[in-house]
Amino acid sequence: MIGFIIFSIFLALIILSFLIISTKDLAHSVILFMGFGLGSTILYFLFSAPDVALTEAVIGAGLASVVLLVVLLQTKQKEIS
Amino acid sequence: MNLKKEIKLHTIISSLLISFMIVTLLGILLNFNHSSSSLGMELLAINETQTQSANAVTSVVTYFRGLDTLGEVTILFLSVFGISYAIGDAKSKLNIFKDENQLLQIGVKILFPIIILFGIYIVLNGHLSPGGGFQGGVIIASAFLLKFLAYGENIKINHKIISLLESFSAAGFILTGVLGVLVMDRFFGNFLPLGKMGDFFSAGIIPLIYIFVGLKVASEITALAEYFIKVKDV
Repeated sequence: MIGFIIFSIFLALIILSFLIISTKDLAHSVILFMGFGLGSTILYFLFSAPDVALTEAVIGAGLASVVLLVVLLQTKQKEIS
Repeated sequence: MNLKKEIKLHTIISSLLISFMIVTLLGILLNFNHSSSSLGMELLAINETQTQSANAVTSVVTYFRGLDTLGEVTILFLSVFGISYAIGDAKSKLNIFKDENQLLQIGVKILFPIIILFGIYIVLNGHLSPGGGFQGGVIIASAFLLKFLAYGENIKINHKIISLLESFSAAGFILTGVLGVLVMDRFFGNFLPLGKMGDFFSAGIIPLIYIFVGLKVASEITALAEYFIKVKDV
């Protein structure tokens, strides 16, 4: 059962990373990046590394996405031409 | 005659010193026959006798590899310094988040103390449960980040307090290591009583180091978030 969950999260992360680099709206891309951080947090936790999981949740899903979002709002360029 | 005059005293002394260091280094390196393949098992085996920390990862990060953590904290300080030099400006103004969102403001008002409390919990329980100074510090800083997002330019942080906290925690971190050298002949030596594994007051200097690291990371990332959000209109 755990193996199935890990496998499905692997697949979801691969699809999500393709979506991150192929979405036209950069705001959607940042939100998907947050989801990517969430997925990797679950993976680290299932691989029995809770310290790394906590770090990934705080830094990867939280702080890095907020910094990217702020940069996006500051530069005001929303879509790739 | 001429040649004798050119060789000065400090040249001789410095060359003697450097050759002494090279000989000492060679002596240490030639006697050091320690294979690193089974290092993890050995660390786990001596964790119980040397640190009494329930979370073995914590004891590796702060006790066995305390110097590496010092390097990490220094790198973080350097990056915050670079960003503040590049975009930190006293006369900078907000140009985003102009409309105040009441929903976000009320949510932040409720969540702010809970997030701060959770961060303090993570910092103080670093030697018992997953987490520690770095993660807890970033959680505390994220509470301030939420406040910046909700209130915009109405919120102001006191940079004097931030820099004071940062210097105090950095000095405390290094002084703890130097006290370890004086008392236990080892940088970050465990000079406090170890206690029983699993108790809140246990694991010697590990909670002390994590309090310093948490304060430093929280103050630095709060300053970083303010610089990023209040950047000047280019």
